[in-house]
Amino acid sequence: MGLLKMEHICKSFDGVQVLKDVSLSVEKGEVHALLGENGAGKSTLMNVLTGVHRRDSGFIEFDGQAYENMMVSQSEKAGIAFVHQELNLFNDLKAYENIFLTREYVNRFGRLDKKRMKKEAEELFDRLGVDIAADEPVMNLKTSQKQFLEIARALFFNAKLLILDEPTTSLNQEEVENLFDTIRRLKEGGTSFIFISHKMPEIFKLSDRYTVFRNGEFAGTGRICDTSPEEITQMMIGEKYDAGEMYDKRETGDTVLDVRELSGDGFSHVSLSVGKGQVVGLTGLQGSGSSEFMQALFGARKITGGGSSVFGKRLPGNSIHAAMKAKVAMLAANRKENSVIPDMSLLENMYLAEHTLSAGSFHIRKRQEEKKFNSYRVLLNIKMQDSAQPITSLSGGNQQKVFLARWLNTEAGILLLDNPTQGIDVGAKAEIYKLILELAKSGKTILINTLEIPELQKVADVCAVFYEGKIVKMLKHEEIDEEAVMMYSTNAVSVGKEDRQ
Amino acid sequence: MKRKYGITGIISQYSYIFVFIVIFIAYAMTSSSLTWSGVMNIFRHSAVVGIIALGMGLVCITGEIDLSAGSMLAMVSGFSVVVYNATGSIPATLIFALAFGGICGLANGIFVGGMEMPAFIVTLATMLIYRSIAQYVCQHLPKALVGGGSSMYKMAADKDTFQSFYQLGNGKFATFPYVGLILVIMTVLLVYISTGTKYGKKVYAIGSNQKGAVLAGINVPLVKISVFVVAGILTGLGAFLWVAMNASADPATTGNSYEMYAIAAVVLGGISMSGGRGQCLGIIFGAMSYTVIDKIIVALKMDSLINDAIKGVILIVVILLQIAGPKIKGRLASIGEGG
Repeated sequence: MGLLKMEHICKSFDGVQVLKDVSLSVEKGEVHALLGENGAGKSTLMNVLTGVHRRDSGFIEFDGQAYENMMVSQSEKAGIAFVHQELNLFNDLKAYENIFLTREYVNRFGRLDKKRMKKEAEELFDRLGVDIAADEPVMNLKTSQKQFLEIARALFFNAKLLILDEPTTSLNQEEVENLFDTIRRLKEGGTSFIFISHKMPEIFKLSDRYTVFRNGEFAGTGRICDTSPEEITQMMIGEKYDAGEMYDKRETGDTVLDVRELSGDGFSHVSLSVGKGQVVGLTGLQGSGSSEFMQALFGARKITGGGSSVFGKRLPGNSIHAAMKAKVAMLAANRKENSVIPDMSLLENMYLAEHTLSAGSFHIRKRQEEKKFNSYRVLLNIKMQDSAQPITSLSGGNQQKVFLARWLNTEAGILLLDNPTQGIDVGAKAEIYKLILELAKSGKTILINTLEIPELQKVADVCAVFYEGKIVKMLKHEEIDEEAVMMYSTNAVSVGKEDRQ
Repeated sequence: MKRKYGITGIISQYSYIFVFIVIFIAYAMTSSSLTWSGVMNIFRHSAVVGIIALGMGLVCITGEIDLSAGSMLAMVSGFSVVVYNATGSIPATLIFALAFGGICGLANGIFVGGMEMPAFIVTLATMLIYRSIAQYVCQHLPKALVGGGSSMYKMAADKDTFQSFYQLGNGKFATFPYVGLILVIMTVLLVYISTGTKYGKKVYAIGSNQKGAVLAGINVPLVKISVFVVAGILTGLGAFLWVAMNASADPATTGNSYEMYAIAAVVLGGISMSGGRGQCLGIIFGAMSYTVIDKIIVALKMDSLINDAIKGVILIVVILLQIAGPKIKGRLASIGEGG
């Protein structure tokens, strides 16, 4: 019996189409795996379903009712609950208060009926088999407990469909089992789940059916028991990635970056030696420490031990300015939060970093800056009209090129790129890969941190796989593939076939 | 912010000029005898609050606020009187006023920029501290230094330079008041610093996206401290002008609510209180708009107690137009498209 039907959904942001005619249907009482690479459109579709984004066109039917314009309040009322990856809980409130927030029980004098709320929350936790004290402040809970609390909150108000966005990333094996047991039990009771995950074994263990997206388009759907992980991977990846299509082996020069036993918040005892013109990929599951390591090299994160030297000179840690002076640059992850100065023009955004290095001369030579900007516009193929237009008027890919120009303009010899293709479209991604290779050829040394393996296959000479803050494996270019990386980044070499049903 | 083209774009970008013109026309119509010197007087009466507002503008562009400006004016001008009475030297008084203002600003800046304490709280505290010190010292210094007065700092009229000092505050250069000239020069200077220098770009960047500014290598604490120091120096200059204009400073009333007038002038001038947006040129128009309102009330022979009510209403109306205007326009446009 059909619970949810989404058909021919289209959605675009700022002229970039992120969903192209995609469909998804979920039966009552099933776990439906939603798969696709990062940026394939999974989150956008879920945001359309929960009313966060309005669709441009398409049809949504839930529980027998068609929705013209799904609003957040409507989707909640209809029984759709989204358990986000970054948990949406109020840390200062107690567990039961989070469950009843905005829907508190009151007695007839209008006072909160705490006793009743606490009791019902406890009953719910018992039923779900989770170990949470109802009046524990949420900030004292473990991440896994918070995950359960979110699910409990959704269930308490009779959610018919729960969307779980990578719920297992921060859970250990036992907690995962516990979660899966709970999901199976709820499924028996008729609750449906959309399960978003990148971990194949989990998908094959838990799901009934699957739908795959690729680049915002529908790539396939079917029953899990009729398919194999290889087939699904093929659907996710498609024809577009030929490993090594761009890569072309180069000679690397002398060591220019030498990291010895570097430790800090989120990573420890990382050693790495990189030659001039080399492209080193860093990868690992979220929270594995690869991004944190990169931030520490740039001086943006505290170093507690070890050290590093660039171009033969010791790099004083904990200072971004010192790192920049030593010709290290970092293109930060989360462009909107960490790079974009929204009130400023393209030119101003590009020159911000250079200004901090040349602060000795006070006056801005605008004509000279325009000229330089123009040369970067040509080099990086930035699509724009006017260097005075606001940065926010460009698409993500073009914004990212402006920030790349920002750092190239500092004449840095070592470029740290943290997830540089995040949230940009396929065409711009390909351009950025090409740029990385060109820059490497011209003698820049590049570290690129990414979760996308095909990206590394295109550009990286070697790849460092992080697990729990340490490099567990250095892969040579020809050894980089999804399977090898996944194996080392989960540090579970043997997890494989026996988990499949 | 999308770039604005066309007439409506220019109007909303330079709204402060239109606000000033509208208020000025109202003044011209209510005032029976509008004279050149009357117009020049607008510059004179805007000078002190305008110069303080320039510093406030810089602070606001970084997303912070300085509530201590009015009290700082009282303290610096009071102490400047003492320095003048002790030395009889105008340059010494000026240097003291600028340096002492800078030190007061540095104190604010170290707490806000260096210790990352909220500017609202820090400057609220220094607002209390500075005025209290001004009042206390006035009572506990030898009478000769304070100028013989009981509760006021008075400049000693028997100094050789007294006339020239007073002339500086009240004289004119080819019908243009000296203090007005200083306001204009300071405005030009601040407009240059904010738009034509690398330092200015950093100030804007911090207010627009602080995290982004840090990751672009900007030393955010240092820049924040510096804007408070600049604001302090400008308040010191304001205090020097105040002394020159009045030959005295009353620690209890001098600069009362000036921080609020300065903030209002900044906002009227189009600078966003959340930081990152606005032009320093707007501040002088914001400050002068308020001076003209004072003059309208005098011209209409209204009770001056209604003054602040009218200023408050105008502030709300202008901000309403700035903020709600585009929203209403957007809504009308979307209805037009939908229908």
